[in-house]
Amino acid sequence: MFYIHNTTCISPQITFPEVDLDQLISCTENKFYTKEIPSTDIPPAILRRMGRAVKLGVVASIPLLKLQAQLNGIIIGSANGGMEDCIKFLNQIIDYEEGVLTPTNFVQSTSNAIASQLGFISKNQGYNITHVHRGLAFENAVLDVAMLLQENPKHTYLLGGIDEIADYNFNIEYLCGYIKKNSSNLDLYNSKTSGSIAGEGAAMFVINNKHEGAVSELKALKTIHTTNEKELVNVFEKFINDNLPENKTIDLFLSGENGDIRYEQYYKTIESVMNSNVSIAHYKHLSGEFQTASAFALWVSNYIIQTQKLPLNMLKKQTVKKNINTILLYNNYQGYQHSFMLLEKA
Amino acid sequence: MAKVFVTGVGIITSLGDSFEANREGLKEGQCGLGPLKNFSTKYANSLLFGEINLSDTQLKDLLNVKESGVSRTSLLALHAFNQAIVDAELSMDKISNAATALIIANTVGGMCLTDELYKDANQKNFGSEYIASYDCAATTVFLQKKFNIRGVVNTINTACSSSANAIMYGTRLIKNGYAERVIVGGTDALAKFTINGFNSLHILSSGLCAPFDNNRNGLNLGEGAAFLVLETEKNSLGKKRYAEVTGYANTNDAFHPSTLSENGTGPFSAMEKVLEQASLKPSDIDFINTHGTGTENNDVVESKAMIRLFKDKMPAFTSTKSNIGHTLGAAGAIEAVYCILNILHQEIYPSLNFKEPIVDTNLIPEQRYYETELKNVMSNSFGFGGNCSSLIFSKV
Amino acid sequence: MGTLELKQELKEKIIQFLNLIEVKPEDIKDDQPLFGEGLGLDSIDSIELIVLLDRTYGIKIKDPKEGRKILVDINTMVDYIEKNRTK
Repeated sequence: MFYIHNTTCISPQITFPEVDLDQLISCTENKFYTKEIPSTDIPPAILRRMGRAVKLGVVASIPLLKLQAQLNGIIIGSANGGMEDCIKFLNQIIDYEEGVLTPTNFVQSTSNAIASQLGFISKNQGYNITHVHRGLAFENAVLDVAMLLQENPKHTYLLGGIDEIADYNFNIEYLCGYIKKNSSNLDLYNSKTSGSIAGEGAAMFVINNKHEGAVSELKALKTIHTTNEKELVNVFEKFINDNLPENKTIDLFLSGENGDIRYEQYYKTIESVMNSNVSIAHYKHLSGEFQTASAFALWVSNYIIQTQKLPLNMLKKQTVKKNINTILLYNNYQGYQHSFMLLEKA
Repeated sequence: MAKVFVTGVGIITSLGDSFEANREGLKEGQCGLGPLKNFSTKYANSLLFGEINLSDTQLKDLLNVKESGVSRTSLLALHAFNQAIVDAELSMDKISNAATALIIANTVGGMCLTDELYKDANQKNFGSEYIASYDCAATTVFLQKKFNIRGVVNTINTACSSSANAIMYGTRLIKNGYAERVIVGGTDALAKFTINGFNSLHILSSGLCAPFDNNRNGLNLGEGAAFLVLETEKNSLGKKRYAEVTGYANTNDAFHPSTLSENGTGPFSAMEKVLEQASLKPSDIDFINTHGTGTENNDVVESKAMIRLFKDKMPAFTSTKSNIGHTLGAAGAIEAVYCILNILHQEIYPSLNFKEPIVDTNLIPEQRYYETELKNVMSNSFGFGGNCSSLIFSKV
Repeated sequence: MGTLELKQELKEKIIQFLNLIEVKPEDIKDDQPLFGEGLGLDSIDSIELIVLLDRTYGIKIKDPKEGRKILVDINTMVDYIEKNRTK
């Protein structure tokens, strides 16, 4: 599909600007926030209007914008882009009884606030879009970039997945039963309860068709909406048959399991149909759960391929130790939005 | 690359709840704008809205919706979706075929339930029936489940250009071989949220919006939904083909969060790129359904960009927002359906409320109904955040 | 409240209301244009300032065009506030 070049990631872990995944940062409650976001590179005139999600995306992108002067477009996946401002504006409507209201929150409340701010600060007049389809928002951004590169093979794009924990979307997700009452990332997979821990982050990627200088290559992507395990297995097997050559094997399966016992079965099922000598790792104890957590998964996979270091805390099942050149990523969001990605060393 | 044809449409706006009713309304120069009846807001009687004359209960009865937690945004979408699949003669098997994609654009989502969202966002104990229905993807997930859609499913939000981008994404899925059939649409219901939002920016008209008029003073908000079925050349063989999607372009003005740059860099390059993409010259365009919101900023900037591109050979143009108001995330899809009406019947509908041209640009929209030969029709959609998209539909 | 105190209060309110990071009240000169080259505010800010006048001083400005005459600099704003404030 395409090659991944430079990347950045802001997450609850030590990932920005330097990366140290051996040192596991833990959370003591059901909200797993990113570390303080440094914003020194953003002009004050722009910074003053930024909500936190926008700031996450912009701060993560700035190093890439500096490295890559020529970008042909900005493609973002974000389920809750401007949620914080959206609810601030909503509160104004009610609190001031539809009186005289300040427009800034409204303007920043649209999901595309991140992509448009990135376009604005980089003066990028190219393709600019925001995919907001919950647990497949980032996957659709990936597919969009893949198509853009089929259409414009010489172009380079900025791809990103960004979501934040805003008080209000947290509240709504909590009331929906997506989040555990009390939990820590340290015992996420052993909780035997429903829900997960809320996470957030921004993972940004410079993408093009050039093999030279690339870290990894995304070979394939498949998404499906289903709650039927049999259908999921069929989709998975077809995905592997169509995309993994016979002489290649999967070195690592990166599972999106999130400690929610209601959806554990999907991950177990996929693990069970996989070759038994595949190592298995997970990552939601690093990122927390959110709609675009698969962007973190793609970032961390790319990082593992680049460094050939798999942090011990990520390992679920180790088989024979060998180089990690092919990673299969599987994620599901709330049991009905599933995605598979196949990533290879470039 | 593969050709993409429109084989079915569905639409509901303040002009009517069908393709035919909308054509009649446009032809007669009807205006669907009036005071608001369906929910309470301070501005219900002081401003004018393109409201659909059916309550949520009436819509639920009409559509036989028994599930809880379905917002008006989703109800409008279901209505237009149902019409589109019947019009394109898609069987349930075809709809749930893995090669069928569903792409929906939306900006308001379940926030049309502004008061409920306020309670749910601040409530600590239990949520309302709408708790999982506020985001933009809620409508898409509702339709995906209802029709068991198994291909690519996506929701796009680029503010007011959203559904033009949904049509673009759907078209590209077919062209790039990721789908054979795409059901694509846009939907947005009127909401206390957007009414207060646009009001806070002082861009709501105190009366009827007057696109491209020198004394225009803002837009009217409207609501509605439209869906199109897009199919490959092969799958549409032997079926009616309303039009071919020949051009699509997305650019960014990269100037300001809520206003367009003075010279309309973004709008100009969207229109320039869409022509390039369709391999057409400016003189090949017979008609433009403009973005034409009626705000001070949009209409003069869009005019300047049009003049820069078409020079002294300006195609006929109108703004159908003068009939139904600005339907935000649904606007691109609704206006695409209107372009298809233009092409299907080879006719142009009057733009309303225009009196005198903008001094600087002097452009005059079409103000009467007439029949004429239309081969290529352009549709513009611009949104907050500098998003500018243009589409071209061509007669088959 | 004297004019000097009002000027100081207005500067503080503007900074707070528009979230002008790194700007201090003494950075804003009384006759420095608020928009364009001066303080660099834009059209959204002008609406924000109309809201500020409403919420803080009970001044209603219906037409943004009228606002442009008032929101020139601190001097013009203070002059207008002194003559028209209702709270």
